[in-house]
Amino acid sequence: MVRLFSMTSEPAELARLRQWLRPALAAEGLPREECAALLLAVGELCANAIRHSYEGRGGQPIEVSLEASEEGIVLHVEDWGKPFDPAQYAPPDLDALPEGGVGLYLVQRIADRLSWETERGRGTRWTLLKYRPGRAAPAAGT
Amino acid sequence: MDIEVTRSGEITTVAPKGDLDMASADRLKRTLADLIAGGQARLVVDLGAVSYIDSSGMGTLVAAMKYARGAGGDVRLCALQEDVRAIFELTRLSKAMAVHGSRQEALAAWA
Repeated sequence: MVRLFSMTSEPAELARLRQWLRPALAAEGLPREECAALLLAVGELCANAIRHSYEGRGGQPIEVSLEASEEGIVLHVEDWGKPFDPAQYAPPDLDALPEGGVGLYLVQRIADRLSWETERGRGTRWTLLKYRPGRAAPAAGT
Repeated sequence: MDIEVTRSGEITTVAPKGDLDMASADRLKRTLADLIAGGQARLVVDLGAVSYIDSSGMGTLVAAMKYARGAGGDVRLCALQEDVRAIFELTRLSKAMAVHGSRQEALAAWA
């Protein structure tokens, strides 16, 4: 079953996202701390959509979906704004105590796999995979 | 977001209530900046009533810490909930900022 959530690109919508996503993750039986981490990861991707993809413009669509299997949880975050350009992204220097720019770093730390598509020519579709405990992918070469 | 501000001598305690995210971070940022600009640079931020914090919220706390230290003070955090503490550890902020178990411990640390 795929659960879908639609929001628009206003910061106040992030609370409504959490109201939907928190119970949806809890219903999948994940440990509490993993639910909290995924809640943050999706929140950061949506915040980035607001701040970067739509450059702060409100009223623009952001779609979130959750699909669960025995293997794990797959979350998608999709926008139709300025596509993510990895050449413009620089990982944060945490030792410099940055005041911003750590959202994507957090998502990368939380996800077991993270990918994105911009081939539609407009916007970005992020895919975040989190394995259930004990179901991690086999190591390379095994 | 509700923000409770109490003063005890030279130390001001700021206690936000609710989620500290992109929507609410600016309000906390302004509150902390106004206090520091007004000479109240010895701050305790009590996060006991904050169950969610994102990178905007953390950025606000870092910015306030830098500003306060520049003014001869600091921002000490206390009462982090478990999920909030986990995020602080991901970003190593738990090592860069003064974090205490309770408000009493944070206040006592100024002595």
